[in-house]
Amino acid sequence: MSEATTPRIVALAGNPNVGKTSLFNELTGSRHRVGNYAGVTVERRDGDVARKFGAVLTIVDLPGCYSLTATSADEAAAHATLTGRGGDPPTAIVAVVDATNLPRNLYFVLQLRELGLPIVVALNMIDTARTLGLFSDAAQLADRLGVPVVATSARNGDGVGELVAAIGRLPARETASLVAPQAAMTELRDVLRKLGGDGARARWVIGTAAAGRLQEHGGTAPEQAAIATLDPQVVLRAAVQLAELRYHEVDRVLAGIHEGGDTTAPAMATSERIDAVLTHRVWGLGAFALVMATIFTAVFTWAQPFMDAIEWVIGAASEATTSALGPGLLTDLLTQGVIAGVGNVVVFVPQIAMLFLLLGALEDSGYLARAAFLMDRMMAKLGLHGRAFIPLLSGYACAVPAILGTRTITSFKDRLVTILMIPYMSCSARLPIYSLVIGALFVVDPDAPGANMKRAGIMLGMYALATVSALAVGFIAKRTILRSPTPPLVLELPPYRLPRLRNTVLLVYDRTMDFVRNASTVILACTIVLWAVLSFPRDATGAGEEGPTNISASYGGRVAQTMEPVLEPMGQDWRMGVGILGSFAAREVLVSTLGLVYGMEADEDDPVELREAIRNETDEHGNRKHTPLSGLALMVFFVYACQCMSTLAVVRRETGSWGWTVFMFTSMTTVAYVAAVVVFQVGRLLGYG
Amino acid sequence: MAVPNAGAYSKAVLARARTSVTLLASGSAALDRVGASLDAREVAPRTLGTLSVGESGEVAGIDGDGALVVRLSEMGFVAGTHVRLVKVAPLGDPLQLTLRGYHVSLRRAEAARIRIA
Repeated sequence: MSEATTPRIVALAGNPNVGKTSLFNELTGSRHRVGNYAGVTVERRDGDVARKFGAVLTIVDLPGCYSLTATSADEAAAHATLTGRGGDPPTAIVAVVDATNLPRNLYFVLQLRELGLPIVVALNMIDTARTLGLFSDAAQLADRLGVPVVATSARNGDGVGELVAAIGRLPARETASLVAPQAAMTELRDVLRKLGGDGARARWVIGTAAAGRLQEHGGTAPEQAAIATLDPQVVLRAAVQLAELRYHEVDRVLAGIHEGGDTTAPAMATSERIDAVLTHRVWGLGAFALVMATIFTAVFTWAQPFMDAIEWVIGAASEATTSALGPGLLTDLLTQGVIAGVGNVVVFVPQIAMLFLLLGALEDSGYLARAAFLMDRMMAKLGLHGRAFIPLLSGYACAVPAILGTRTITSFKDRLVTILMIPYMSCSARLPIYSLVIGALFVVDPDAPGANMKRAGIMLGMYALATVSALAVGFIAKRTILRSPTPPLVLELPPYRLPRLRNTVLLVYDRTMDFVRNASTVILACTIVLWAVLSFPRDATGAGEEGPTNISASYGGRVAQTMEPVLEPMGQDWRMGVGILGSFAAREVLVSTLGLVYGMEADEDDPVELREAIRNETDEHGNRKHTPLSGLALMVFFVYACQCMSTLAVVRRETGSWGWTVFMFTSMTTVAYVAAVVVFQVGRLLGYG
Repeated sequence: MAVPNAGAYSKAVLARARTSVTLLASGSAALDRVGASLDAREVAPRTLGTLSVGESGEVAGIDGDGALVVRLSEMGFVAGTHVRLVKVAPLGDPLQLTLRGYHVSLRRAEAARIRIA
């Protein structure tokens, strides 16, 4: 009687690839909140049912999972939400199933029914099932299952109104529906008895304990004690019998109404023809290379005009501020600290948006699973899942979106391994540095014969070094600090489907806003601190007055000068030290910082004067300070050094820990320093430089 | 014991015996030579890893660590289920299998854990 006024929380549950996201977007009219489940990096989306449906409901979108047994963080989060651990329990469940694949989808529905919450089944993708001539009779399925079933096609919005109405008609309470174990399932019956009788919780404990995750995912002390008294093989046998029990029930429900569920997959008929090309031994790898090239170009090249536009706006804002306020310390703080800091955040938006636009569309289409299928062999050698490949490759363009892209990896440890590897991939921000050094010290005359070859050869060497190093880091991390077995690949290859623009755009929006909200504070703070370090003391640097700031006299400059003995072994002087310090904001800032050190306004794109100044700088004996050898050492330093506060801000956000962030920074900086020193010293011993 | 259970019981005994033989066989190369005197089918039971493309088999059971056994069981690899090998990935691993109306990819190492009748 009060459905219209009492807010109810409805959990949206279902297997991956069943159109749950589309249904959520249809139900909520795309208005939703994105957060995290308590204590884990599993994304959680909540939204209110759109007003047009005339019901007051809050929808919680659970992570897509095949089972509630906690073998991964996603499943543990879904189970915790449904049972009210860490928040209000839902008052009802919408179980979304793919009508074209009931023999597997109904397993999860049966498991959900064991919880004893009112439940309605959304028989989704009903249009595809009808087209394929598969079973599509919602009323008959409702009859067999004993719960309301509503046929929906979330892609077209069909049946969504009926679904909301069906939720409104659900009873306030429901009794748990537990299929009794058969007499022959002796282990299951025994273990259930030892756990105090049959029930959803006891069943969850059996599966989770058999998977060895009971302690990790919230088993109580009495439950753990009860399990400890049992033979692990018996518990495992019981868990298998539980799965058999539910699948037998699925077969009983579908008997006579849904045939052909065995080794023919009618929903996959078209997909198999597409796969004949896309996972073909030759064409498949070719198509994959093409897809990767597209992703790479998108992040590397297509995002560039947008980034240029953002930089133009930031520049214009700086100029407007300067002309409005006149020169002064406040102006400098606003332009070089605040506005530049905001710019440092916003400039990543095009790359993140590009990557997620493509990743989202690929995921939606079903191709991302094929990409993992194609690349798994290579990644498994490292001990990682095939899904780690795309984020790693994206790291060549920019580590920030690449690290956000690791969310497709389910194992947290493997995600961390991938996150640790990504910053070693030579990102696009290193290019201006390589260019500057090569132009200053290696290829003096760009028109000389073979100049381009030499330039390309050195660049290629840096990329090769970065790639080998990233792989080595993954190999070592996986076997030491983040040791875990290679995750089993149990990867569904879903039918190909046309991606929905709306889902992808919402994903892009969520990811981008998440980055802006969570990384902006750190990036902004770092920018302001860096500005202060390179601007004070004011009377020495002339900060806030007209003309370039004399950053050599700043605190940062003084630190670099006292640090010169540390920089010398890698062939650098204090001027480069200031450059390294300043480029912590972003690697390419090295160029403009060095410009200030040498007392000029350096053009970031073609710093001719800066190249000459570096080349011609001499020490007191008239010897050149910078040689090809010291240049090589500097480039090697930048291959390894984590000179990017934005990367660190994102690592902090994605790992939820300063510990890993600090570890990444210190380990990369140490490796960078040692490698640069080795290059310089060994080079000198061999008589170069 | 009731008569209808006798079949299931003897099946279970057989399965257990087969498991222990498998464990022994995989345990060391020396035992392989001992095993050679046994029925060849018992020493190397057929698994999903031994299927050739297009061939199917009926799941008899899964050996391996708990998390994998639970995960595979819940994905539908339960006794009596028919599984067909659709394709092998271009680099030789993993495999593309179909069961219960859907397609799933497993590595050879995992497929070799699933015994077929």
